[in-house]
Amino acid sequence: MEPERERALVDRCRREEPGAFEELVNQYKNLVFALIARTVSDRSRAEDLAQDVFLRIHRGLPYFRGDARLSTWIYRIVINVCTQDKGSARPAVSLDDPDARVATPSTIDRRFGDLELRDRLEKAIQQLPAQYRLLIAAHYLEGVQYEDLAEAMSLPLGTVKTQLHRAKRQLRQLLEGDLR
Amino acid sequence: MTCADLADLIDPIAAGDLTPDAAVSAHLAACPSCARTLDAARRIETLLRARLVPSAPSQFTMRVVNRVHRASWRREQIVDGIFNIAMIAAALLVAVGLVFALRRTGLSILTTDAMNVFSAGMLTAAQKVVPSLPLYAGATGLIVVALGVWWWASDSAAL
Repeated sequence: MEPERERALVDRCRREEPGAFEELVNQYKNLVFALIARTVSDRSRAEDLAQDVFLRIHRGLPYFRGDARLSTWIYRIVINVCTQDKGSARPAVSLDDPDARVATPSTIDRRFGDLELRDRLEKAIQQLPAQYRLLIAAHYLEGVQYEDLAEAMSLPLGTVKTQLHRAKRQLRQLLEGDLR
Repeated sequence: MTCADLADLIDPIAAGDLTPDAAVSAHLAACPSCARTLDAARRIETLLRARLVPSAPSQFTMRVVNRVHRASWRREQIVDGIFNIAMIAAALLVAVGLVFALRRTGLSILTTDAMNVFSAGMLTAAQKVVPSLPLYAGATGLIVVALGVWWWASDSAAL
């Protein structure tokens, strides 16, 4: 969304124009939901958290100065909601689920192996610290730049890149056996 | 270049953030372990790029707007409650202040006399009304019956 349109929408929301806040929700709901649903494995929990994000946006709109872009401010709220979520503690998911080990990628079709690997990747992502999970979730969403994340997390660009690489290294270590 | 030197470069290379220079390329060509690690990092990169993008449920906007309305209503209730408590506290403060002021200025004696006169007046009025009470009760009864009949009639007509 262009900055001009963003500002106009924020102004309309502040004036409590009918339909303005609905428009804002419609504009950002998929981004917010995708970010959270990729971070929290439980879909209904993800929806609750996504709703919390929009409640905070509604409460915060009168104080939004517009120094940062609206999308950056929204990322920041998503980050806060996800890191404060008590239910986001790392689940005790074992990557060495014996059922998942029955067939090894070397003995089965590669495509099925990738499906299995994808499932194990999701489990491995849930094992990462909240900040790393968010970085992984956000970075691979279309249109999300390193710069947006750095601004939302109030971190230098280099630190964001380093953390993202560290997150991926941890993922690689968690999936070591599966990638051989 | 050693394997340890390359360890920090594997993920940036796999992500395309870093282009391997001659030394890195030479090490990768000579070291099967690092080449495997880079291959694994590239597979993870591909899988991460191919991750599903979950969409918000269809009723999401409506549910958010409902929650916003409920939250606003709750906030208004809290503000109303605080306002009511503040008003009661202020009224009590004024009453206590008034009593205190009356006592200090000696006007409380006058107030007591005024209360006595008021009570005596009320007693006299009650004594005058008591003999006519049956009449008032009868009139009230008639009005209640008339209202009841009217209500019953209008209710029946509606049916």
